[in-house]
Amino acid sequence: MKENYYIAKWLNNELSEDELKKFVSEDELRTYKKIIEASKKLQAPAFDSSKALNLVNTKKQQTKVKKLNFQLVYRVAASIAIIAMAFYFFSAKETVYATKYAEKTNFTLPDQSVVDLNADSEITFKEKNWNTNRNLKLKGEAYFSVKKGSKFTVNTKLGSVSVLGTKFNVIVRGNYFQVTCYRGLVSVSYKDKTIKVPAGTSFKAEGNNSEQPFAINDTLPSWIQNYSSFKSVPYHFVIEELQRQYKIKIEYNPKYANTLFTGNFTHTNLDTALKAVTIPLNLTFKTIGDHKVSFIENKN
Amino acid sequence: MSEKNENEFCNEKKFSSFFLDNSTLLFNYIFYKCGNTDLSNDIVQEAFIKIWKNCAKVIPNKAKSFLFTIATNLFLNEYAKSTVIINYKNTPKKDYTNESPEFLLEEKEFEAKLQKAISNLSEPQRIAFLMNRIDGKKYREIAELLGISIKTVEKRIHNALVNLRKEIDVF
Repeated sequence: MKENYYIAKWLNNELSEDELKKFVSEDELRTYKKIIEASKKLQAPAFDSSKALNLVNTKKQQTKVKKLNFQLVYRVAASIAIIAMAFYFFSAKETVYATKYAEKTNFTLPDQSVVDLNADSEITFKEKNWNTNRNLKLKGEAYFSVKKGSKFTVNTKLGSVSVLGTKFNVIVRGNYFQVTCYRGLVSVSYKDKTIKVPAGTSFKAEGNNSEQPFAINDTLPSWIQNYSSFKSVPYHFVIEELQRQYKIKIEYNPKYANTLFTGNFTHTNLDTALKAVTIPLNLTFKTIGDHKVSFIENKN
Repeated sequence: MSEKNENEFCNEKKFSSFFLDNSTLLFNYIFYKCGNTDLSNDIVQEAFIKIWKNCAKVIPNKAKSFLFTIATNLFLNEYAKSTVIINYKNTPKKDYTNESPEFLLEEKEFEAKLQKAISNLSEPQRIAFLMNRIDGKKYREIAELLGISIKTVEKRIHNALVNLRKEIDVF
């Protein structure tokens, strides 16, 4: 054996002390023995393995969770993106019909129900699944001729109207809510109350004041026939309707705002219409500029 | 069968017992290298976390040497050595003593010399020597853990003792 690690062998009890003496001197042997003896007292720094294990377990969990989360985040993000796109393209696609001042329109819903939209009004609905889910949102005034079928609901900020198949008109202007039924029966939901409105009657409400449905004589809303008809309606509402139909601005004494007005005005002749709303209150009108009219009290 | 083995280290209980059985030795090993307890603690934790992450790849009878290899590599990455100072146990004071004060003083001096000589050893010699002396590891075990031959362990321990004696005898 070329290399002989005799000291290591001796330390490992593979070599006796006498044999070792062949290689090392007495003095050297004494030092080796002292080293061996002293090294027995050596110790490594304190290490708390259970504490370290707890730390490792905590970190282990963290890394594990982090790993999972990343996958999860990607999966969730992908799912959300797909669902959102699906919604965007198929389900949430809303159709909007809107009219401006002095503008009326009518259109047919996917189930062949017909909607007439009065001036400054808006209807929003989802074409998807229309036949099983006949829900629409209304702002303003509209007349509905609903084909028989599933429940048809008109949602407004003031209340909702449900029917199965009928003809009815809904007005939502400011605080004013009116539902008039021309055929069949409609169910109106207003401030936690449900009111049945049969054919030939009308339900109206303003704020907290609502009345029992009252009888009407018309078979069609007046505005469809190009005039507006009012029966005991606050004057401000009449003026607002007039402004909508003619795209004008009317100035009048606010003391008349809540005066009840009964009467009609045409949608085809402004002069006639202005006379129709001023004469009953003993007022005259003066045109100021293109789209502005002022109501003045008669001095007599 | 291999699947069963793979699962062993991925099992919380198995991992914990493996940790408790080997973490102190690993800690000491890193400390013999660098003499820094904080760094040694960090490396122990990192090494075991690596084992946990790669639990499926751990071959049971190679696990220990795998662990030491991981720790050694981690240590290379965080190369920051300071002087390795190995302290002595506090030997309980005896009520009586038949040793002269001179002898006790001499003993203290010797211990200080040895401590200094150990820190002057080369890293491989110090590791082999201390794993044998402090951790009581047999040459074969040291060889396995460090992935070297028994002959190399013998050589390192032999040279360690020769160097220690030389340094002590000179002063």
